[in-house]
Amino acid sequence: MIFSLQMCFTLVEWQRNEDKEENIMKKLLALMLTGVMVLSMAGCGSSSSTETTTETEETTDEEEAEVEEETEEVEEAEEAEEAADADSDLAYVQEKGTLVVGITDFEPMDYKDEDGNWIGFDADMATAFAESLGVAVEFVEIDWDNKILELDGKTIDCVWNGMTLTDEVMSAMDCSNAYSSNSQVVVLAADVAEDYADVESLADLSFAVESGSAGEAAAEDNGLSYTSVSNQANALMEVAAGTSDAAIIDLLMAEAMVGEGTSYEDLTTGVVLVDEEYGVGFRQGSDLVEMLNEFFAESYADGSMVEIATTYGIENSIIAQ
Amino acid sequence: MNLIMQQLPIVIRSLNAGFVQTLKLFLVTLVGAVPLGLIISFGSMSRFKPLSAFTKTVVWIVRGTPLMIQLLIIYYFPGLVLGNAIWGGGESGRFMAAAVAFIFNYACYFSEIYRGGIQSVPIGQQEAGLVLGMTRTQIFFRVTLLQMIKRIVPPMSNEIITLVKDTSLARIIALQEVIWAGQAFMKGSQGISGAIWPLFFTAVYYLVFIGILTIALGRLEQKLNYFQ
Repeated sequence: MIFSLQMCFTLVEWQRNEDKEENIMKKLLALMLTGVMVLSMAGCGSSSSTETTTETEETTDEEEAEVEEETEEVEEAEEAEEAADADSDLAYVQEKGTLVVGITDFEPMDYKDEDGNWIGFDADMATAFAESLGVAVEFVEIDWDNKILELDGKTIDCVWNGMTLTDEVMSAMDCSNAYSSNSQVVVLAADVAEDYADVESLADLSFAVESGSAGEAAAEDNGLSYTSVSNQANALMEVAAGTSDAAIIDLLMAEAMVGEGTSYEDLTTGVVLVDEEYGVGFRQGSDLVEMLNEFFAESYADGSMVEIATTYGIENSIIAQ
Repeated sequence: MNLIMQQLPIVIRSLNAGFVQTLKLFLVTLVGAVPLGLIISFGSMSRFKPLSAFTKTVVWIVRGTPLMIQLLIIYYFPGLVLGNAIWGGGESGRFMAAAVAFIFNYACYFSEIYRGGIQSVPIGQQEAGLVLGMTRTQIFFRVTLLQMIKRIVPPMSNEIITLVKDTSLARIIALQEVIWAGQAFMKGSQGISGAIWPLFFTAVYYLVFIGILTIALGRLEQKLNYFQ
């Protein structure tokens, strides 16, 4: 950094001294300065691209005459590689040696044990699946709103986090077979819960739902008045704070978060609005979907899937493969 | 209250880990953006018109678009459009992408502060230096620089304090800084779910750290109070 600073001073100085002379030199220097700036911008970004480094080494080692040929070859090889990538997600994952799984902290599907390792039904299944592919597994916490961005941007390879198979999800990703069932349930204050025991009575209430969630779809389908908030926890906070009368969230989550012994003792679960299913999302056209469906069928057949589900107390929700 | 006392150790540990990320991003940005800002300010003060026009356009774009969008572009653009996710999905990749976005964004703001500082030094001092036979570099380092530093400390302090709080924007690319850590307990994390207070408690971390910074920057300002 100090070097480049020094350079800049010198450049600026030269540039100014040369003021009265013909300005070809000046332009050249200014261009160099621009180059330094552009490089300093790009420099940070390209460091992790190993492909580029090997290419450069190859080209500098060769005679100039051979350079053209070489570049062509490299280009061809790259194209072939790209084509293979587009065709086979499996090859892409195996080449880098890790299956990057996008998750959020979501008990009992994906959560941390006391040592900070990711456990849960989904986490254990993902680990086993990666093992069957012969690659390591890496769990990455993502912002749930950005799951499609993360997937398409190849920063993760799949979304495996109790994801409800909605039309929106299915249209943006290629999804596995459903492996677990779940419901969307109304959460409201315990002292008024009796008055709202059926779907018709809910029309009087104002709801808070997670934006883009299955709960929001349920509210819309039933013609309820609702406000969209950024996540299910915020929806519960709205109810606790009294800014909304009720929330619609996942049954699995509701059971863990409201009622006796939780932070939301005054809230309770009410009407079940809709039944739904969980699946795993991959990039569109990914061949990993087929692999995972086979893996699900095998692990269901040999009983290991139910065994893992029993560990986390969700064996009743598992769907036969 | 009892419940909060039970949750406190777990929450504090988690928030501490988050705040370390916040501090790391803050320090890396400061170390990168302070010198880069100077380079950019030279670019925008250049007498070579295309260069200064180019630099000013870049500064306009960076200052004219939300940092949140810049973070999204820098992190997701390589994978989405170029098909090569250079940052990777892991935590270190997210940190690097965030650091690049912050350094570049803040360097652009700093560059304008520097420009103001440099141009506020009376032109007569430079002319005097030239008459005495000093080179431009000598004039910059021996005459202009110290006066400029003294003048830019208050506006820089402002930007630096803003930077501490802006680091929370990095949660958009899932960098797990202190606000992310606080919010995790609302949704459920480490056996605590539906706890709202950790999110608000993160404000204490910012407040304490900015208190320390304010004192340090105030001292610096006093130290630079020589020629008045």
